[in-house]
Amino acid sequence: MTRPKSIAAALVLAAFASTAHAQLVDKKVLTLQAAKKIAAAAEADAKKKNARVVIAIVHDGGNLILLERLDDTQVASVNVGIGKARTAAIFRRSSKEFEDQIRTGRIAALALPGATPLQGGVPIIFEGQVIGAIGVSGETPSQDEEIAKVGASVVK
Amino acid sequence: MRILRIMAVVLALPLSLAVSAQAQVVAKTALTLDGAKRTITAAVAEAKRINAPGGAIAVVDDGGNLMALERLDNTFAAGANISIGKARTAAVFKHPTKAFEDIINRGRTTMVALTDFTPLQGGVPIIFEGQVIGGIGVSGAASAQQDEEIALAGAIVAKDFAAKGANGARSKVTYIDREKVASAFAKGAPLIEVEEYKVHASRREAAGMAEVHMRETDVIYVLEGTATFVTGGTVVDGKVTTPGEIRGTGIRDGETRRLAKGDVIIVPERTPHWFKEVEAPFLYFVVKPISPSGGSK
Repeated sequence: MTRPKSIAAALVLAAFASTAHAQLVDKKVLTLQAAKKIAAAAEADAKKKNARVVIAIVHDGGNLILLERLDDTQVASVNVGIGKARTAAIFRRSSKEFEDQIRTGRIAALALPGATPLQGGVPIIFEGQVIGAIGVSGETPSQDEEIAKVGASVVK
Repeated sequence: MRILRIMAVVLALPLSLAVSAQAQVVAKTALTLDGAKRTITAAVAEAKRINAPGGAIAVVDDGGNLMALERLDNTFAAGANISIGKARTAAVFKHPTKAFEDIINRGRTTMVALTDFTPLQGGVPIIFEGQVIGGIGVSGAASAQQDEEIALAGAIVAKDFAAKGANGARSKVTYIDREKVASAFAKGAPLIEVEEYKVHASRREAAGMAEVHMRETDVIYVLEGTATFVTGGTVVDGKVTTPGEIRGTGIRDGETRRLAKGDVIIVPERTPHWFKEVEAPFLYFVVKPISPSGGSK
């Protein structure tokens, strides 16, 4: 039993040794090419549903990298779509969670800065890390989210 | 006088309402997402061609609302919003943003007080038939000058495909009255030629060359006269005259038919055909569906 413990200690030491050099980390970043694939999948799903939506894709910092407004989509959805994507990216969870919180009584969540607490924003996750998010706006909240999920699921 | 004037107004009012009832709306050419995407594609190609270090490219509609955006890898994050602002400014003010940057730089500083206004070079309107139908904005290239060059490369392409979309077969009903048709048949002339099809009012006074169309099917309806028509086989001395078109002096081992008034014959694309002998005047109506070219679609 002692041996595994010492191995564990060694591992901890090794970890410290490596963090001594670790003022920087490698971060996986969403490329425009990947964003296009995500948008294409979401667009295909939207067309299948006859949905008129805006599809917005942001980086992990919440900044827009790609947006598509399908023909005949209400223009107000541009900012809502970006807001949902941004919320999912910087809070690292589906924007639906905030909508649910508010609906179940946590009205204070409305005060969160930079949050669009409306269902339809989904984080894009790669190897457990949130590398960006997709936001969809234009149809019903659940339909928006379904389309966003189809897009987000492209990244595995 | 006053009463008269009032009466005139009262009388005129319903009339003017009736007239304007037919003109409360106008048809407006609008950019589609496909159009916006193609604009961006052209701009991205230009950015790569001139080795721009980055670029966020935004396309908005005529109301300034974002339709599509792409931020090239490694472009600074703020570029996204700046490109939207430039595109929006160019669209809703109907001028390249450089015009406003110049005005302000020359001393009209008060102009920066305008709201929702990004007076920075790199936004240009997208214009179709003299109307501003949207705007493209670029941010994040090597300089404001380069931003604008990329935007212009996108805007120019938009003009091209817009023409196809608006005048193309799917979007518009085409009516050609009998006088125009008759005068076309009198000399043998095309009635309409668009991306998807051609319609010709053809007239032959003599035998023709052997022909092969790589992308056009000929649907022929004979209106007058007779002709000896050869199809299939091999073209003799075949030469490419224009892209997709082969002409030759005749056809070897083809199938020969006698065509007369009322006949219909359909020659698929890539099939040799030849009006070997013609009893003039030989008039025939031809519809030519064009199959999409392999590369571009």
